[in-house]
Amino acid sequence: MSFSIRRLYRGDTSWDFLGVSRRVLTGSIVAVLICVAALFIQGLNLGIEFEGGGVWEAPASEDVTTDAIQKTASNIGMADARVQRITGGEEIFRIRGELPAGETAESIGSALAETAQVDSESVSARTVSPSFGDEVAGKARRALVVFFILIALYLTLRFEWKMALGALVAVAHDIALTVGIYAIFQFEISPATVVAFLTIMGYSLYDTIVVFDRVKDNERSLSLKTRMTYSDLANVSLNQVIMRSVNTTITSVLPVVSLLVVGSLIMGASSLQEFAIALLIGLVVGSYSSIFVAMPLVSSLKGREPHWAEQERNAELLSESNSIENAATALAADRYDRSAPPRPRKKGRKR
Amino acid sequence: MVLLIVGASLAGVLSAGWTPVLGVQLQGGVEVVLRPANEVPDEQFERAIEIIRNRVDAIGVAEPDITRQGDQVVIQLPGVKDKQRAVDLIGKTAELTFRPVITFFDPLDPNQRAAAQQVVEGSQVAEGENVDEDTEQMVSLSDLLTPPEEDEATATVALLGSAGQMGFVLAPAELTGEVIEEAAATFQGQWIVNLSLNDEGALLFDQMAVANYERQVAIVLDGVVESAPTINAVEFNGQAVISGSFDEAEAKNLALVLRFGALPVEFERDDVRTVSATLGEGTLRAGVIAGLVGLMLVGLYMLFYYRLLGLVAICSLAVSGATLWSIIAWLGESKGLALTLAGATGIIVSIGVQVDSNIVYYERIKEEVRRGRAVRSAADGSFRAAFSTIVWADLASLIGAGVLYQLTSGTVRGFALYLGITTLIDLAVSFFFMRPLVVFVARRLVNERPRRLGLTTVTEEASV
Repeated sequence: MSFSIRRLYRGDTSWDFLGVSRRVLTGSIVAVLICVAALFIQGLNLGIEFEGGGVWEAPASEDVTTDAIQKTASNIGMADARVQRITGGEEIFRIRGELPAGETAESIGSALAETAQVDSESVSARTVSPSFGDEVAGKARRALVVFFILIALYLTLRFEWKMALGALVAVAHDIALTVGIYAIFQFEISPATVVAFLTIMGYSLYDTIVVFDRVKDNERSLSLKTRMTYSDLANVSLNQVIMRSVNTTITSVLPVVSLLVVGSLIMGASSLQEFAIALLIGLVVGSYSSIFVAMPLVSSLKGREPHWAEQERNAELLSESNSIENAATALAADRYDRSAPPRPRKKGRKR
Repeated sequence: MVLLIVGASLAGVLSAGWTPVLGVQLQGGVEVVLRPANEVPDEQFERAIEIIRNRVDAIGVAEPDITRQGDQVVIQLPGVKDKQRAVDLIGKTAELTFRPVITFFDPLDPNQRAAAQQVVEGSQVAEGENVDEDTEQMVSLSDLLTPPEEDEATATVALLGSAGQMGFVLAPAELTGEVIEEAAATFQGQWIVNLSLNDEGALLFDQMAVANYERQVAIVLDGVVESAPTINAVEFNGQAVISGSFDEAEAKNLALVLRFGALPVEFERDDVRTVSATLGEGTLRAGVIAGLVGLMLVGLYMLFYYRLLGLVAICSLAVSGATLWSIIAWLGESKGLALTLAGATGIIVSIGVQVDSNIVYYERIKEEVRRGRAVRSAADGSFRAAFSTIVWADLASLIGAGVLYQLTSGTVRGFALYLGITTLIDLAVSFFFMRPLVVFVARRLVNERPRRLGLTTVTEEASV
């Protein structure tokens, strides 16, 4: 174990990612199915930005109970209001309900402030009309579609359509899992969460592009010389970028974890919490999917191309040795070959 | 060189006393999203936003941000004191009225202000009599002018003209804008505005004309006197012509004002959010502490893993941070753009992107060194490949940011803006700062002992 970590640290691994991915993929598919099912059965817990209504937040003190606040809410016509006491850091009451006719956000705020025994200036309030949520959701959907089309075009131009497909499937996978977890645990969806979902998409794509970039690079430099199959090529590339992926994920997750722990648990800022949970899940899932979803898909698509299919047949004929070992040796040979005179090598890459 | 530019811009921003403008969620205040209740022509919508802007100025908010986003208006008033008043004022429908002019005053002249004040209060000052300065209390302009919420059609009011150079004391309204059927600017030797009224309006207009023959009647839109033509006929039959020394723009503007009165833009409040100052501060403090702790953890990890190169990564982050601070402060100062909660979280997230650029580069160097290349040539040679990866990946982020910025509003839009900015900074810092520093470190400080970079070489590998 310690040996392999040391190898990982040096970036000298030769793991069979694609082989592993076949088993892991089944797990992924099951997870996505569960999430989609949860989405349809339980639905999402939408925040007021999407459903309309009002939310009030007032500082809480020891001698005021949630029941007292609930009673006040009922008296002013909000019988079905949900009253929560949010602890951790500064305690607050959070009251969510429909705004009764003839009342304003302010009048309800001051009634609540009176019960909570605080100054009405310290009550935060928010009211949203129901139509607004539809519009927000509609805009987000439209932006998403345009985004997907543009990214698909971009990746097709930069790489090829098979890679674009792989990247988008990976992104869809990440979003499905994150949204699914929100459905399962009934976390509240707010615009901040939507922002988080978008960030996840960005990260996932970014990660996938880094991987693909390396594969393309290797495809140009290695494949003509050797008898590598496409999956060997993919494996070699993945081994080369794995440390980058691990490190990037760690360094991206650290600020988010601190946002989650420091921001919400210690200081009790709930608006940061929603955001951080989505991000945390998404980041981890995102780097996983670049390696275990996007790449295997591309590899199996590419494996069907005539050139690669032939390589595959050749490799089967020459099955006397492990193909990964082969690839590693080929790569090693290539290194010394190319790095001996550094100048020409550089030029060769420029082309 | 790069340090110089970044240092200079930061010093400039700091010495100018610019600090980032904080959004409503971060310092408390009011945020309102309005949408017209019915469909309105574009120019009227713009006019309505202009009116909101005037009202916000009247409230006196330090850094108001009023933007149109599609068919919505997003109004952010960070730090506003009287929140309910602000919300009420912003949402009020603007009204057009015709009010006979009682008297004029020069807003800059204290004597005239005092006289006007007396007129408003109903005590008539005999004509030609000078107001005794010693016995009169000084009447400040803001005391004199009628505040928007007291601007009732039935009241006597003191208002300013649209240029703010002329004050009017006006009688109660005799006519409101609903009676206007059509108004258009035409050129007939000079620019004039044709006004047609409905039947009810024609009657009222003639009554007003009789009562105010050869006197001026002010056309008032939302507390601003747009024009004060003299009535020089008593029978209009629903058709009036307003002439004066208008140029084209003035005439068209007046016609627009009159049409606006005919069909006032009524707003629905889509989203109203008031944030108490304490809650805003709490969120801000939590965000800042979380950001700092996160940065520290990332720094420690990079140091642990990449040693000297980790230090370079920390410096890159510092340079990016300084640049970002300058940009946010500049945006706040020149465009009134506030740093929102979503924007702030976007920035925390971008720490990851910035560090990743470093990691991509370092991993390339490590790989080259493992292939047997000298550290200094590896540092030089790997940059091209690494930077190409960074550019392609950042380009995807930029596409995302651009699409989101164009097609969404509110929170998501704010996030997209900062995502775009930080991505561009990442590219610039990677190219102009990270590379030279890494090359410098590789040349001067490493002495071909790659362990200092957290590397092992081929020769060392043999002994493992």
